[in-house]
Parts: sequence; structure tokens; C-alpha cells
Amino acid sequence: MKEIIAIIRPKKVGRTKDALSESGFPSFMAVAVFGRGHQRGIAAEVNCELPPELLSQGKSGGMKYIPKRMLTIVVPDADVDKVVETILSVNQTAQIGDGKIFVCPVDEALRVRTDEHGDKAIL
Amino acid sequence: MKMIKAIVRPEASDLVTEGLAEAGYFTMTKIQAFGRGKQKGITVGEMHYDELPKVMIMMVVEDADVDEVLKLIKYKAYTGNFGDGKVFVTPVEKAFTVRTGMMGL
Repeated sequence: MKEIIAIIRPKKVGRTKDALSESGFPSFMAVAVFGRGHQRGIAAEVNCELPPELLSQGKSGGMKYIPKRMLTIVVPDADVDKVVETILSVNQTAQIGDGKIFVCPVDEALRVRTDEHGDKAIL
Repeated sequence: MKMIKAIVRPEASDLVTEGLAEAGYFTMTKIQAFGRGKQKGITVGEMHYDELPKVMIMMVVEDADVDEVLKLIKYKAYTGNFGDGKVFVTPVEKAFTVRTGMMGL
């Protein structure tokens, strides 16, 4: 099993959900998070004009942290590429701030209701 | 690559992130969380607080940088009292940048 952690734009969550459930992965967990990437959160994504006297004080029009949505999806090993492809295809806007996807190993899963373990618990 | 999940005091979270940014680790995700440790929360007078607010700082770094990041977090989040937090390091197999679809950080 692999855990796919996708940090994406909040605006794209609906379409990501639709695309994932169409490919047969309806289950996921979503958390509202804040973060920044290599651009240090000052990407034009959430930017505003500042008067020159503020800019000279070293202030920037950007935000320190940018609101994002973190989706966590646990899938069997074989489906990792398909899910990553789906998320990539929906979320690409060619602008900075599209997000990141991490794939991490998961040792065990347990479905609480039926006490199923392993791959059976997540399918 | 390794994922570092640092659960720190909310008031220390900005210290930690700014300290990491100064050292060149800008990329991070901040998650508001609630939790308790070995001390089972905190008792102030008659009131018992079972779950205390914390901030979870999640970042993915190359293997070689783990030690430096841990050192920075330890230095910035330290107060010496119970509740300073915990740091967990877990493996990450692959990372993708959504905009380019490229693998790697």
C-alpha cells in the first residue's frame, strides 16, 4: 500500500474529487492547510499592489503562507501511477502554486467496522 | 527523501519556519492540530485540558538535509518545558511537482 499526499489548490478540489471517483478511487481525506513552496509564498497567486513606501520597508505584496488543501489517498501499490496521473492531469494550470504530490509507504491498514486488514481494508 | 513532521507549540511555529527559511528550507506545510503527550494534557487548577493546540509542520527534504533540519527545529522549538513537541521522520518514495509533472523536489 502507498499513501499519496497531494497538496493542491483549494479551488481544484471539486474537480480532483470528480476525476478520482471516475477512475475508481472515491475515498480520500482532505485537510485545510497552509504552506509555501520554493517561491517562499510570494507567488503572484495571492498578490496585491503595495505603495512604494511600504515596499521600501522590505514588505512584499505576497502572503507568508498560502492556503492549500491536502488530500491523503491510500491505494494499493499497483494503482499509484494511475492516481498520480489523474491528480496531475486535473491540477496542472502551468502557473506556480499548483502543488506537490508525495508517495509514502504504508505498512498496514485496518477497516474498523469489519476488522479487515491490509489491501482488503482499503478496497 | 524524508518527510519531517514536527509537532510544535503554536507560538513556536513561526520561529521554526523563519529559522528554517533562513537556512534555506522554505518549503513547508502548516497544519493546525490538537493532541496530548505522555503527561495526558495539562491541569491548571481545577481545569484539566485533555487536548492541547499544536501546529504540525510538514516538510519533505533530501536525506542529506534531515540532520540539519532536525537540529534547527530542536533549537528553535526548545523551551525546556513539557509540551515542546515531537518530530517524526518517515520515508517518502516519490515526489511530483504538479505544474511540471516532474519527479523530485
